[in-house]
Amino acid sequence: MPVETETGRFVAVGTESGKPIQLAMQQLWLQGKILPVGARLMVRHVFRSAEAKPLEVVYGFALPRDAALRQFVITGEGFRVRSRLKPTEEAVKEYEAGIQEGHLATLARQYGDGLVNLTVGNIRPGETVVVLLEVLAGVQVLDNGLRFRFPFTLAPSYHIRARTAEVEPGVGEMELPEDEFGDLILPGYQRDAVELHEVGFSLSVRMAQAIAEVSSPSHSVRVKMDGEQRSRVMLAADRDVPDRDLVLDVATRESRAVVLAARAQDIRRRFAAVVPSHAFGETPAAPRQVVFVLDRSGSMQGVPIEQAKRALEACLGALAEDDRFSIIAFDDKVERFDSEMCQGDQHQRARARDFLAAITARGGTELAQAITAAVKLLSQAAGDILILTDGQVFGTERILDEARAGGVRLHCLGIGSASQDRFLTLLARETGGVCRFLTPRERVDLPAVDLFASIGRPLAASLRARVEGTACGQIAPPPASAVFAGMPLVLFGDAAEGEQGRLVIEWENPQPGKLEFSLDPADCGMAETLRLLQGSRLITDLDAQYTVIPGERAMERRDQKRIADRLQTLSEAYGLASRCMSLVAVIERAGDQPGELPKTTVVPVGMPQNVSFAAYFSSSAVSGIMAMPWAPQRSVLLPVSRQGPEAIGSTLEHDGASLFGRASEVLRQTVQCDRTDSVRDPAGVTAPEDLLLDLARKLEPDGGMPGRDDFARFVHSLVAVLAFLIEGHTATAGAFRTHVQRLMRFLETSAFPALAAKDAQAVNEVLAWIKKGPKPSWQTSELLVWNEQEAWERIRQTMGSGRAV
Amino acid sequence: MAKSAPNGKRTLTELAEDSGVPARTIRYYIARGVMPPPLVGGRGASYAEEHLERLERIQKLQAQGLTLAQIAWKLGEHPLERQLVEPTAWWNYPVAEDVVVMVRSEMRPWRLKRVRSLISQMAAQLRSAEKEEGGDAR
Repeated sequence: MPVETETGRFVAVGTESGKPIQLAMQQLWLQGKILPVGARLMVRHVFRSAEAKPLEVVYGFALPRDAALRQFVITGEGFRVRSRLKPTEEAVKEYEAGIQEGHLATLARQYGDGLVNLTVGNIRPGETVVVLLEVLAGVQVLDNGLRFRFPFTLAPSYHIRARTAEVEPGVGEMELPEDEFGDLILPGYQRDAVELHEVGFSLSVRMAQAIAEVSSPSHSVRVKMDGEQRSRVMLAADRDVPDRDLVLDVATRESRAVVLAARAQDIRRRFAAVVPSHAFGETPAAPRQVVFVLDRSGSMQGVPIEQAKRALEACLGALAEDDRFSIIAFDDKVERFDSEMCQGDQHQRARARDFLAAITARGGTELAQAITAAVKLLSQAAGDILILTDGQVFGTERILDEARAGGVRLHCLGIGSASQDRFLTLLARETGGVCRFLTPRERVDLPAVDLFASIGRPLAASLRARVEGTACGQIAPPPASAVFAGMPLVLFGDAAEGEQGRLVIEWENPQPGKLEFSLDPADCGMAETLRLLQGSRLITDLDAQYTVIPGERAMERRDQKRIADRLQTLSEAYGLASRCMSLVAVIERAGDQPGELPKTTVVPVGMPQNVSFAAYFSSSAVSGIMAMPWAPQRSVLLPVSRQGPEAIGSTLEHDGASLFGRASEVLRQTVQCDRTDSVRDPAGVTAPEDLLLDLARKLEPDGGMPGRDDFARFVHSLVAVLAFLIEGHTATAGAFRTHVQRLMRFLETSAFPALAAKDAQAVNEVLAWIKKGPKPSWQTSELLVWNEQEAWERIRQTMGSGRAV
Repeated sequence: MAKSAPNGKRTLTELAEDSGVPARTIRYYIARGVMPPPLVGGRGASYAEEHLERLERIQKLQAQGLTLAQIAWKLGEHPLERQLVEPTAWWNYPVAEDVVVMVRSEMRPWRLKRVRSLISQMAAQLRSAEKEEGGDAR
């Protein structure tokens, strides 16, 4: 809110503190290119000093997934200087010497957890300085497109030794232990980000296939297509606030393998390949052992924890009788559903539902303990762990260490508006699993069911890749050992130019298979970008193994020294920064005042959208006042009231009059809630999907729906499978593919003498029709209000007339 | 950690080396008011033994879990504050008409949440006990 000062100028004032705000950083603007396998970004930081003496500004930010800094260019009146890459110790010395001499100095230094401090010192009073920072970043590559995520804020996160306080109303401060994080300075956190620096973006998208859609669940965007494979995406408004990540989804019209290749300056052919998961076959049916790990920490409170719980219930519905499962809920303590793995029968699932019902969000995020407990539960058995978390935790290298040591595949479903995407991607990748990260504005439950459908059942395992037909082709980093449904295989490598190179991929399980691709497609002209993206991925992987643990033993220190040396070598080879190599620039100017001490200030960021300020910052002793914390916290999230699950469940079992009883009423109420709630559920809950989740949750261990007798069970199952088909889920595609498979198996294998005698031919026709997978023309709501006889008659008659197809 | 300079005066670089606290961090401490500025400004800026001692004190307080804002307040040198006993801040939770639970406000948020949950349970139990007592009395 601006106010007029005595001098007649308008300045911004804090809405909670009422104090004038002087922004050392005025603007953060993202530019660059998004490509099929990564992004080459230019981040523009505009700093301006309103101080009467020289200013030193520290801006702290988190790196996106698989990202590395390449260089920066600092410009101002009469100068334009490019950074140099130096060993961190040397870069810091150069920066400090520059500051001492009164020169304008800039340092970009990376710390643990992919955190970076960009420090610009000796900005003169009234001066404006622009730092254009080049960042190479990974993207989440999907079978039919990609998801790009860039952090505009930095989430406060849990660390057992973090120091936190609310230093003034609505302003939080967090500090991390110096023996682990060095001189890293975290930003101040403002509950209200409105008065902070403006952020925005203008990015070009360049895909190898025709683009179907570019959209964003985080920001309003303007999209301008430039041919079939290119588009430009911009922030729709003039500017935005730094309180959440930018998330962009690029969907392609087709899903096919792509090899990007180009000739580099060193006369080698650089390439990147994306092989969609469906090229590896279909998900095999095999019993699985899964431990669900649910993050119940304070930062999950609100819709995320409720949706995560619903998602787990739906996942339980997809368990077959020969599957085994368990649940661990954790905050700073670990709570087990059971001391051992349980069979996926009705009794255990009912117990699991009771366990979940009692879970509320609270406390810290001791993820490492939870992983250890889950690994112990799985014991010697081959199994998978599915983690649902916001990933808001610092000290992630230690967690990665423990996860690697566990030797169990971890799959992650991240939920959050501020990126911990880098950490969760590493956690899944380093253990052979897959990761998806969603914003709180999206629903969590369906992607959880989707992820669950593929885990434990890789399409290809024991996978190897190599370059053939050329003398010195190589692939780095090594390929993932397994491929899961929905997640393509992505490879980087290089080969000698001028030979007929081939990329060969082979795997052993569940069935041996082989794919081959030519490495000689048309030159995509991106050799240097492909090389840099490969380098940033290699550096990220190695950086994740570099831990600084106070009091570690000599042997561990030696190991870490070796990693540091390799990290430096990689940085030098690719010209990219890492924790061992930093970017520095010192600019000598006329009139520099040696020895003058600049005023150091830290750029604040907004509290991530949908994260409770109170979850991290309590009132501090600074105020020295007695306070009453009972007043309800302002919350932007109100869960939409739902009666679906219970209503449907009870009706299925007891109400013979209508197939799904109050389903239509539930539908009406949910839709009404969505329309009338002043504070809308940001997950954008829609009724049909809610009903599908409820159906999934009710699945019996034999794969059928519940009912009074065999006839009722058969018809309920038939209607349920039709409901899934109507919403686009088949036995091979969609989040509920496992549920559809199980329902189909139940319908095919169950013996229903009464029904068969009555109309055996019709049963077979219906099953054959469902197998073909056409989308019926009914509405889900129409189906669910029929009674059993009506449902059966209408489906049977429709088969005859062909109306439904 | 202290390695005293011959005349007790240090440059910022020497202070950083002797204390093990990076120069940028020291500048940040000065800007935040937890460290006094150098004795002399400009090219010959120097720092005294007191600066080194202050850095040691800051590190000890940080090890106790205090943030810079809390340290700045604790080390505040206003005469009035020095005369007073250091105040402490407490949350005041009235759980019944005649019962108040006080919780130190510096508690970590994660612990505070748990304590608040327990206090809520206590309040609920007291309310239920009161109802029973009321019922018995009737």
